Amino acid sequence: MSMPADNTLPCVAGIGLRAPHYREVLETLPRLGWVEVHSENFFGGGAPIRTLLKARDHYPVSLHGVGMGLASPDPLDTGHLDALKQLCDSVQPASVSEHLCWNTAAGMVVNDLLPFPYTREALLHVAGRIDQVQAKLGRQLLVENLSSYLSFAHSEMTEGEFLAELVARTGCGILFDVENLYVNTRNLGVDARAFVDAIPAAAVGEYHLAGFSERDGCLVDTHNNPVFAEVWELYEYALQQIGPRPTLIEWDSDIPPLNVLMGEADKAQQFIEACHE
Amino acid sequence: MSDLNENLSVFAHSIVSGAEMPQEVNDGYQSYSADTALEVYRNNYRGNLHDALSGTYPVIEQLVGEAFFRLLTREFIAQYPSRSANLHRYGAELAEFVATFAPAQSVPYLADVAALEWVCHCAYFAEDAGALDVAALSQVPPEHYPDLIFISDPSCHVLRSQYPCTAIWHAHQPGAVSDFNIDLESGPASVLVSRVEDVVRVREISDADAEWLSGIKAGASLGQATVATLARHPDFDLQAALLAMTTQGVLTGFSHREAS
Repeated sequence: MSMPADNTLPCVAGIGLRAPHYREVLETLPRLGWVEVHSENFFGGGAPIRTLLKARDHYPVSLHGVGMGLASPDPLDTGHLDALKQLCDSVQPASVSEHLCWNTAAGMVVNDLLPFPYTREALLHVAGRIDQVQAKLGRQLLVENLSSYLSFAHSEMTEGEFLAELVARTGCGILFDVENLYVNTRNLGVDARAFVDAIPAAAVGEYHLAGFSERDGCLVDTHNNPVFAEVWELYEYALQQIGPRPTLIEWDSDIPPLNVLMGEADKAQQFIEACHE
Repeated sequence: MSDLNENLSVFAHSIVSGAEMPQEVNDGYQSYSADTALEVYRNNYRGNLHDALSGTYPVIEQLVGEAFFRLLTREFIAQYPSRSANLHRYGAELAEFVATFAPAQSVPYLADVAALEWVCHCAYFAEDAGALDVAALSQVPPEHYPDLIFISDPSCHVLRSQYPCTAIWHAHQPGAVSDFNIDLESGPASVLVSRVEDVVRVREISDADAEWLSGIKAGASLGQATVATLARHPDFDLQAALLAMTTQGVLTGFSHREAS
């Protein structure tokens, strides 16, 4: 199995480590394959970074950014990039990832993960910014596909094609969020199989799994539920087509007890092992 | 302006201030309209900023209650758009907003408590600094003391309030034994916020110590800060202040400005 360089996460299931579980995880050291955290929560000094470094003593850590805004038309926030570099230097993460989205335009900041038109212009722009981030960090970045609630009529390619172009131009890897893809199939009519076919399997370094919710007919990527059956089904298809990869259970609101997360991770682990057989 | 910049600027504007959608956005989706989608983004925008404020200002939220806090943050978010991709930077102006927010005027100490919570939040995420090199300090010849420039820990802040904010803050911390007998007329107080072994500490200090530390933080030399403090507080005890600020990790470094 080929894997993106620099990505040293073990090919097993892991969980998103969030504040309500810090103490329990550090005191009981449960059996977890690896953990992922949101990079921005550990910018600066003090208790947050100390907590993460303790976790790092026991588990491989993946740094997952929510604020770089790779597709933002405004200039890349070099202060943000410097802070991420500093965090990478102290944590020495097994993986670093960001989303294929934007968050800043004309000085307005929207603290969210926003979609943009998949045009040639955007491709050159995003590729240049990924180059800038990878050069600064001195390592490969995994770029995550987005869950979207709307789309642009003048897109010139699909998200899958856009990601494949980014991989070819920058050498970045792909973080394949299976739930995001499922949300897009239901919201936007995206063809899931075409997405899987479009992205280069060798570039996929990680999968994400999570639960969504619904608002007025629109599926929203709220990470507040167990992984639904349809998403497990799509995950199984991805495993068959692309192969097993480190797989994360993400849960960000209405966070359940740790054993619920671990149960979900066990389930993902069974899928990974079935795929190896 | 490039197409991408144009599209996304219009999109950002429609999320933040309710303006129209970019024309290039598809109108209809499988089971909802473009307006529904935009409303999801607007809700996310406000919800994420509300949650950030709720995380930074837990005492304010307890003091005014969840429903009033939601009203307050809704108005604040409308007036103060986000300026940083790092949500921890959002909400610095809440104290000045609260001071002018008419429905909050019946709680006169609210703005000062908000100012205190903001510096506590900043202290929690402040960069780490090393400890003061006491051995090196002891090597400085006494005649150079007045020219010493001390560096304070990035987590350290000094505040002054007309109200007993320290007591109010402590009474609303998790696990605190609530003290509902705080005397609001107990007079003005100076407050020192700093991080000690990764825990944010809030404590009252004397007005003299506060004035001296504010001078040091503003870049005054030891001599300048001490002379200015003694002029207003003749009982200021420099040795005691230095010892307290050093052992509590408030002073983390020094440089020596050569006398010209």
